Amino acid sequence: MAGAKTASVLSPAVQKLAAMPILITIATKRADGSVQLNPVWFELKDGFIWLNSNTNRTWPKNLQRERDVTMLLVDPKLPDRYAQIHGRLVSLIPDPQHEFIDRLAERYTGEKFRELEPDEHRVTLKIQPVTVTGALI
Amino acid sequence: MALELSPKMQAFTQEVFPAFIGTARKNGSVELVPVWFEQKDGSFWINGGTNRGWFKHLQRDPRITLLLVDPKQMFRWAQVEGRMVKWAEDPGGEHINHLSHRYLGHDYQNPRTGRIKIQIEPLRIIGSIDGWR
Repeated sequence: MAGAKTASVLSPAVQKLAAMPILITIATKRADGSVQLNPVWFELKDGFIWLNSNTNRTWPKNLQRERDVTMLLVDPKLPDRYAQIHGRLVSLIPDPQHEFIDRLAERYTGEKFRELEPDEHRVTLKIQPVTVTGALI
Repeated sequence: MALELSPKMQAFTQEVFPAFIGTARKNGSVELVPVWFEQKDGSFWINGGTNRGWFKHLQRDPRITLLLVDPKQMFRWAQVEGRMVKWAEDPGGEHINHLSHRYLGHDYQNPRTGRIKIQIEPLRIIGSIDGWR
């Protein structure tokens, strides 16, 4: 990938953007090879990108099959400033006490997450950034 | 067959924010970048250069996914799955200049040569605008 940087350390500009409560767009591949995009909550911590989902959603299933994800962070004020982060799923961590989704909900809404549905199971996805491209490297 | 946009989607796509487009690379990974777009007569139009990675991907596999998110209200979003049905040169950069007016309210400031416009036909839409599907 031309111009790609190894993302062992995300740049201060990307870290600053990631500290804001903006959504990250994630791209996964469906079994038929088509691209699925979802805007999701995230947190950048300890050099990893952390996501959380209901286990029956499609995107975490795509991610478990491919383990490959492309993520896009866009400056909401200046959409020309963006970072495209290519990453790998390194682990899937059950969140039975919904601690991590509560933490994400507080980051975005200032409140704990809603009550879980009776059959709802949450899982935390730990993503290792591999390369970064874009106008915010 | 192209999908007909609902009145709500018609209105949502007149709002001004970038579309995030996902295309598949040869190695199976996804390229994801923000672009200007316009919805006209039920098709989505974007603009680029023939050297763009995403355009090369579309020539191999015309499937493209667009994500439209209201930057002020993040729960308003739509994922549009579509395919490139046509591309054409943009002589004189008329189309990119038109998009520049839609987004910035003034003429396009960068070189207008070597640009192309791409027509995308929507096939499936999910998200919060039409209700969850």
